[in-house]
Amino acid sequence: MRNLIIFIRRYFTFFLFLVLLIFCLSLVFRRNNYQRASFVNSANGISGYFFRKYANVQYYFHLRTVNDSLVAQNAQLLNQLPGDYPAADTSSFKHLDTAGKRTYLYMPAQVINNSVNTPMNYLTLYRGSAEGVEEGMGVLGPQGIVGIVRKVSPHYAVVMSLLHKDMRISAKLVNTGNFGSVKWDVAHPDPHYGVLTDIPKNVTLHLGDSVVTSGYSAIFPPGILIGFVDRVSEMSASNFHRIRIRFATHFQSLQFVYVVKNFNAEEQHQLETAMPHE
Amino acid sequence: MSDLLKNIIRFILLILLQVFVLDKVVLHGYATPYLYMIFVLLLPFSMPRWGLMVVAVLLGLCLDMFTDTPGMHAAACLVIAYCRPFVINILSPQGGFETVKRTPSVGAMGWVPFMTYSVILVLIHHIVYFSLEVFDFHNLFFLLLKILLSAVASLVLILIYEMLFAPRSR
Repeated sequence: MRNLIIFIRRYFTFFLFLVLLIFCLSLVFRRNNYQRASFVNSANGISGYFFRKYANVQYYFHLRTVNDSLVAQNAQLLNQLPGDYPAADTSSFKHLDTAGKRTYLYMPAQVINNSVNTPMNYLTLYRGSAEGVEEGMGVLGPQGIVGIVRKVSPHYAVVMSLLHKDMRISAKLVNTGNFGSVKWDVAHPDPHYGVLTDIPKNVTLHLGDSVVTSGYSAIFPPGILIGFVDRVSEMSASNFHRIRIRFATHFQSLQFVYVVKNFNAEEQHQLETAMPHE
Repeated sequence: MSDLLKNIIRFILLILLQVFVLDKVVLHGYATPYLYMIFVLLLPFSMPRWGLMVVAVLLGLCLDMFTDTPGMHAAACLVIAYCRPFVINILSPQGGFETVKRTPSVGAMGWVPFMTYSVILVLIHHIVYFSLEVFDFHNLFFLLLKILLSAVASLVLILIYEMLFAPRSR
């Protein structure tokens, strides 16, 4: 026993190093378990406070571009109002539609932290569970899709950006209706481009074709713009195209986003998970 | 100004600078400069080894709080705090450095030893940090490219810091 104590005292520094190293590595490898990693989570009061102050300063410098993109988005939304297409006659029968209640609710939120240059990029929003944001909600910006909410605290939320190696969005080509999957190419990280997979080779594509959300996942409403086809590469070894798309969202200059609540998401999810999957 | 106060102010300012300015700088899409670990490089010679490691872990954890990378910066700073005394021993002349200068700097060690010391520790820090961050050794070439470019950027910043804030002769 005494020899053990002498041994530990001789190599005390090394043992301290090992203990601290195990502590740090355990933090790294438990990153997906947010109860344990929550104290290092940036959605906490201290860092959130600093990011808010800094973002307020930055917000002022971006007022012009934010205003321009808001005006453009307002115009686009106004054009989608059903009142734009007045019908000559009114319906002649009463039509009880219980699915006619609101499905999607958009909640604006300010982006107070963002990153585009790591393999796993996250945004921090100044809107949390006390204001209606829940984990798993989709997030979209003025130009297109942004990401999915991952962790929520009472007043902040951390969003997994589209620029993340684990992100997959269910997407659809507008022209042909084919659906596939959009992800970000981590091997060649570029905040402007992503990859669209699972489009079979017999589909003809044109550069500039729009890629939108398919609406299959219940996280995003259908028809939200993801990007435009930028380049189609030849991959002769498979039956699918390898398509590079240019993201519609400018991730480096995001100031405001909208968090989408889908009121039917739980029902759809419960039904889907009740089916046997492999 | 006492050493402790100077170090505390340096700690806070380096973290704020790193988070709000340097993290947004991306060179050629791969490299990000990291200046905050110069805090570990500049801790006093007389600090005990266990103190170096604890302070390094605290520095790393503070940065991790802001960048959503639990434990990665802490592990990297810990490794360089552990290796620091070895490197200083290798680089110091026979009688040890003059203990008049309390912290490693160009004035205490001369240009070449200080740059060697910085290069070694910065490389170790970047290797540990980027390996943990990417954790995917299939694209080894991109990993090495990231490490080297970031190390070059960080070293340039450390050089500028030394020239600005460390008076040569005191």
